[in-house]
Amino acid sequence: MTPDQLNSAIVTFMANLNIDDSKANESATVVTESIVHRSIKLLEVVVALKEHFLSENEIERKKALTCLSTILAKTPKDHLSKNECSVIFQFYQSKFEDSALVKEVLEGFAALAPMKFISINEITQLLRLLLDNYQQGQHLASTRLLPFKILKEIFDRFFLNVSSIEQVKRINDLFIETFLHIANGEKDPKNLLLSFELNQSITSNLQNVENFKEDLFDVLFCYFPITFKPPKHDPYKISNQDLKTALRTAITATPLFTEDAYSNLLDKLTASSPVVKNDTLLTLLECVRKFGGSSILENWKILWNALKFEIMQNNDGTENNLLNPYVKDQSNDDIDQYTNSEACLKIVNLMGSQLYNFDKFVFEKFITHILDELKPNFKYEKDLKQTCQILSAIGSGDLEIFNLIISSVFPLFLTNTSETAKLKLLILNLSFFFNSYIDLFGKISESSAERSVPNNKLAEYKDEIIMILSMALTSSSKSEVTVRTLSVIQFTKMIKMKDFLTQEEVSLIIQYFTETILTDNNKNIYYACLEGLKTISVIYENLVFEISLTKLLNLLPDYFDENIRVNDEENIQIETILKIILDFTTSRHILVKESIISLATKLNTVAKVSKSKEYCFLLISTIYSLFNNNQNNNVLKEEDALGLKQAIEPKLTQIITQESVIRDDNYNLTLLSNVLFFINLKTSQDVHQEELDKYNKFFISEGNVRILEAPNLLIIPYVKVLSALKKTCVFPQKSTVIVKTIHLLRIYGPKMIETEKVGYLELLLVLSNKFVPEEDVIKLLDWEDLSSTNLEVMVWMTKGLVMQNSPKSSEMAKHFIDFLSNEEIGSFVAKLFEIFVVDISSLKKIKGINWNNNVKILYKQKFFSDIFQTLVDNYKTTVNMAVKCNYLTALSLVLKHTPSQLVGPFINDLFPLLLQALDMPDSEVRVSALETLKDTTDKHHNLITEHISTIVPLLLSLVLPQKYNNVNVRLIALQLLEMITTVVPLNYCLTYQDDIVNGLVPVLSDKKRIVRKQCIDTRQVYFELGQIPFE
Amino acid sequence: MSEFLNENPDILEENQLPTRKEDNAKDLLLGGFSDETTLKRRRLLLKIDHSPGSQVLQDIELLDKLLSIRTPPELTSDEDSLQEESEEKYIEVQKNEEEKADLIDSQEIYDSIAHISDPEHPLSLGQLSVVNLEDIEVHDSGNQDEMGEVVIRITPTITHCSLATLIGLGIRVRLERSLPPRFRITILLKKGTHDSENQVNKQLNDKERVAAACENEQLLGVVSKMLVTCK
Repeated sequence: MTPDQLNSAIVTFMANLNIDDSKANESATVVTESIVHRSIKLLEVVVALKEHFLSENEIERKKALTCLSTILAKTPKDHLSKNECSVIFQFYQSKFEDSALVKEVLEGFAALAPMKFISINEITQLLRLLLDNYQQGQHLASTRLLPFKILKEIFDRFFLNVSSIEQVKRINDLFIETFLHIANGEKDPKNLLLSFELNQSITSNLQNVENFKEDLFDVLFCYFPITFKPPKHDPYKISNQDLKTALRTAITATPLFTEDAYSNLLDKLTASSPVVKNDTLLTLLECVRKFGGSSILENWKILWNALKFEIMQNNDGTENNLLNPYVKDQSNDDIDQYTNSEACLKIVNLMGSQLYNFDKFVFEKFITHILDELKPNFKYEKDLKQTCQILSAIGSGDLEIFNLIISSVFPLFLTNTSETAKLKLLILNLSFFFNSYIDLFGKISESSAERSVPNNKLAEYKDEIIMILSMALTSSSKSEVTVRTLSVIQFTKMIKMKDFLTQEEVSLIIQYFTETILTDNNKNIYYACLEGLKTISVIYENLVFEISLTKLLNLLPDYFDENIRVNDEENIQIETILKIILDFTTSRHILVKESIISLATKLNTVAKVSKSKEYCFLLISTIYSLFNNNQNNNVLKEEDALGLKQAIEPKLTQIITQESVIRDDNYNLTLLSNVLFFINLKTSQDVHQEELDKYNKFFISEGNVRILEAPNLLIIPYVKVLSALKKTCVFPQKSTVIVKTIHLLRIYGPKMIETEKVGYLELLLVLSNKFVPEEDVIKLLDWEDLSSTNLEVMVWMTKGLVMQNSPKSSEMAKHFIDFLSNEEIGSFVAKLFEIFVVDISSLKKIKGINWNNNVKILYKQKFFSDIFQTLVDNYKTTVNMAVKCNYLTALSLVLKHTPSQLVGPFINDLFPLLLQALDMPDSEVRVSALETLKDTTDKHHNLITEHISTIVPLLLSLVLPQKYNNVNVRLIALQLLEMITTVVPLNYCLTYQDDIVNGLVPVLSDKKRIVRKQCIDTRQVYFELGQIPFE
Repeated sequence: MSEFLNENPDILEENQLPTRKEDNAKDLLLGGFSDETTLKRRRLLLKIDHSPGSQVLQDIELLDKLLSIRTPPELTSDEDSLQEESEEKYIEVQKNEEEKADLIDSQEIYDSIAHISDPEHPLSLGQLSVVNLEDIEVHDSGNQDEMGEVVIRITPTITHCSLATLIGLGIRVRLERSLPPRFRITILLKKGTHDSENQVNKQLNDKERVAAACENEQLLGVVSKMLVTCK
C-alpha cells in the first residue's frame, strides 16, 4: 500500500464515520490487511493521521483517533512488536489528557490491553492512569463501559492464564483498586453486568481479596435487590432476570462474603414486598449452597430464626391445592420458580445436609434445637402443616437425617383418630414426609434395576399408615369428600415411592380404588381414583388388569335392568362401569386389548337377549371408543389386531347377521360395522387381499346374504370393511358391483329403507374413490336422468372423485351448480351439496395411514374454491328468489364443513351473502350462516363494525321464536349479539344498547331454558355497556 | 366495608351448590331433534364419554344427518300456495315445542342469583347460603298472558347484617333483568334471621325506593360488581 492509498483510505474512513459505518469499517479493514501483510507499519498510519490529530477541530481529532483505534482493534493480537506496543501505548497515554478524546483513548487501550507483547509495566501504568485520572462520573454509559472492558481484557490476559506469578502479584492490588474505582456508582445495566462478572472473577481468582472484601461486597450489595425494566427496544436484550442472576452469582462467589452476606440478606428479608423477599431468599439459598458447612456453623441460629418466622407466617398452598389430583409433581428444580416458602424450605434442607456433612456434632445441636422448638406444635396442634414441612424438608437431606426425623416425629402425630378435622390434618402432613422419601430415594420406574432403597424408618410405619389411610377411605362417610380424596391421593403417592410397597399392598390399594370409583359419585374422588389407577397401570399393568379391570368386566350383567352390587352399594349403573373402563384404560396396551375382547364377548351374549338394544348400544359404543381413542398412540399393534380378529370378529359377524337388536337398529348396526372397520384397518396389509376375497364371498357371491340381489341392511358392514382394506387389493368384480349397485338403487331407490340406501350410496363412494378408475366412474354418470335417486347416486360417486382431488371433479361440480337453477330439482340438489364435504368417519384421513383410501387433506379447500365464485356470480345474476335461495343453501351447507381459516380470503365477497342467508327459510341454512358469521366476527372486526347497522336488527329478528328460528338459531344469534360487544368499538355499540336491551325482553320468556340463559347473559352485557367499573 | 362483620361464615364449595343434575347432558346436545330415541341414545353416550366432541357422537350425528337429508326442503318462494300448509305445520311445530317447553322453576332462579358475589366476602351468595334453593318459590302457570310470581327469602349471615338491603337490591336487579316482565318479584328476609326484619322487607319491596336506588350511579356500580360473577 502506497502512502497515497493509505491517505485516501484514512480520508474515506473519516468521511464515512457516523454516516455509513459499514463503509468506514471496510476501509479500516483494508488498512489493517496491509499492516498484517507488512506492506505498511502501524506507525506509518499514526504519522499519516498526524495532521488530523493536531487539528483545532475537536470532531476531526476524535475521528482520527477512532480511525487508529479501529485499526488497532482489528490487528491480530501477536502482530505488534514489543516496541510498537510501547510506542502506541505512550501515544495514547499522551492523548488521555485531551478531555474530548477520553472515549477514543479508552477504545485504543481496550484494543491494546490484550496484545501479546504489551508489558506488565505498561499495564501498571494503564491501571494507574485509570485509577488516578479517570473520573467515571463524568462520562456517558457507552464510555464507562470501556474501562470495564479494559479490565476484563487485562484479567483474561494476565490472571486467567497466569504467565508469571511475579508479574501478577505486582498488579494484583492495583487491579482490585482500579476495579473498585471504576465500578463505583455505575448505573447502566449493560455495564453492571460486566461489573458483576469482573467482581466475581476477582473474588474467585485474585490474591489478597481478604483485604478488599468489604469494598468488593459493598460495590455489589448496594444494588440488591436489583430491579430493572428493559426499555421497549432495548438493543442489548438485557432482562431483569439476567441482572438478578449475575448479581446473585457475584454475591455468592466467595465464602469471604459470608458474614456480610448473611447479615445484610437477613436484614432485607424483613422487606414487605414479596418480590424483594423472593430475590433475597433465592440469594440466601445460593449462599448456603456455595459457602458450605463452615459458614453455616456460625450462622445457623440466626438463619433458622429468620426462616422459621417466614415459614410459619406463610400460608399459601392451602388444602385445595393439595386436593387437586392434577397438581404436578413437585420435583421442580428450576431455581427461579421457587415460591417464597419453597425457597425457605429448600434453605433449611440445605442447611441440614451441609451441616451434617461438615460437622456431625454441630448438626446434632442444630437438629436438637429445631426439634425442641417444634415439638410443642404437635402437642398444641399449632402450625402443624408448616412444622411438618420444615421437618420433612430437613429429612430429605440424607438417609440418617431422614431416619432421625421420622423416628422422633412420627410417634408424635401418627395416631388414628375418628375426628375428621384431625384426620385430614394427619393425612395432609403425611404427604410431606412422602415427598421427602421420594426426594431421597426416587420414584418407582418400570426398570427398577437401579440401586435399591436402604432400610429406613418410614418403612417401619408402613402398616400403620396403610391402616389409617384405608380407614379414612373406607370407613368415613361419603360426605367426607376431602378426607377420602386426600387418602386416595396419598395412596397414589405411596405407589410412586420407590420400593415402598409390596405387590400385595399394591393389590389392596387397587382394590380400594376400584371399589371407591364404582360406588362414589363425587367428581373429585372419581378423578383422584382414576389418576391413581392410571399411575398404578404404568408400573403394574398386569395387577390392574387382574384386580381392577377383571372385576369391572365381571360386574357387567347379562340384562340391562339387572342390579349390580358392589359391597353394600346397589344401583351401580352400567354406564358408570363403562365410563370407568374407557377412562382408565387409555393407552395401556393390555388393558385396552383385554377390555375389547371381554366387552365383545359380553355383547355376543347380550345381543341374544330381546329388548337389549340400549345395552348393546352402550357396549358397542364403548368398544368403538376404545378403538378410536387408542388409535394414534399405536397401542394396538398388528399382531393384536390379528388376535382380536380371530377372537371377536366371528362373534360380531354372527350377531350382526342374526340378531335384530343389532341389525335393525341403525346406531348399533353402523357403530358395530365401524368396529369391524377398525379391526381390519389395524391388521397387517399382507392379509387384506385374503380378507377381501373372504368378505366378497360372504356378502356377495356365496351363502345366503347376497347384498347385491335385493336391498339388505348388511350392506353397511360390507362397506365399512371395504373402506378399511388397502386400495391396492385386486377386486376383479368391481365393475359388476358398481353397476349392480346403481341398478339396485334405481329400481328399489324410493322404496328402500333410508339406512340401506345410505349404505349402498356409501358403497358407490368407496368404489369410486379407491377401486374403480376415474373414467369408468364418469361414464356411469347419467346427467339426463333427473330423478332424485339418480341425483344422489351421482353426488355420491362424484364425492369419491372430489375427495381424491380429481382434475375432473371441478367440471362435474359445475354440472351440479347448473342443476341449482332448475326450479324443480334445485332445492334438493342444494341440500345434496353438503354430501360433497361431509366427513364420513371410515373415509377420514388417519395419521400414518395412506394406503386405505384416496383422501387428500385439502380436498375441501379445493372444492370450496372450485364452486365459490360460480355460486356467488350465479347468485348475483339470477332474479328468481327460489333459485337464489338454492345457491345460498348450497353455499352455506358447504361452508358448514369448511374450516374457517379456508374461508378467510373469500370473506369480503361472502359477507353480503351471509347476511342474506340469515333471511332464508331454512333453519339449517341460518345456523350455518350464523356460525360463519361468528367466525367472521372473531377475525374481521372492521367488517362487522361497518355493517353493524344491518346486523343488529337482523339478529334481533332471529332471536324470536318463529318458524325457521329453531333453538340453535336463537341461541347462536344471542351469542353473536354478546360477542359483538367485544369486537365492535363502544361508541358503535352504545347506539344499539336500548334497542337490544328492549328487543330481548320477549326472549326472556323463551320456551327453552338454555335460550333464556343466554339471553340473560347477553342482556347483562348490554346493561353494563360503558359503565364505569366501581372500585 | 373495610371491617368484616362476619368473619367466619359456613361456606359451601362451588361444586356443592344444588344443580339441575339431569340436564347436564342436555346442554351439550343442542339442536332440535324430534326423535326421542336419538336423544336417549345421545344421553347414554354422554354418560360414558362426557364430551360433545367424541367420535362416537359425531358418527351418530353423521348418521342422523345422512338419513334426514332426503326430507324435501320447504320452499317459500310461492308463499300464497303454500301458506295453508306451512301454517298448519307451524302450528304443529309449535305444539311440538310446547310439549318440550322448560318452565321457569326455582332451580333456574337459584342458578341466576346464587353466583352473585357477596358485597363483603369474596364468595357468592350461594356459597354463603344467603340464598337457598328451598327458600325460592315460583308461582307460574307457564301461560304468557298470566301473571307469575317469584318469592325469595334470603338468610343474612348474621342477624344485624347491615348489607341485607344491598344484597336484596342486587338480587332484585339481577332478577328484573332476567325474568319476563309478567313476573312479580318479592324478596323477603327469612323469618327470624334479622333484627329489623320488617323494616328491611319494606325497603326491599318498595318500588319507589328501588327505582331511586337504581338512579344512583355509585350504588349501581356496586351492584354491577356483585353481578360480575354471575354465570
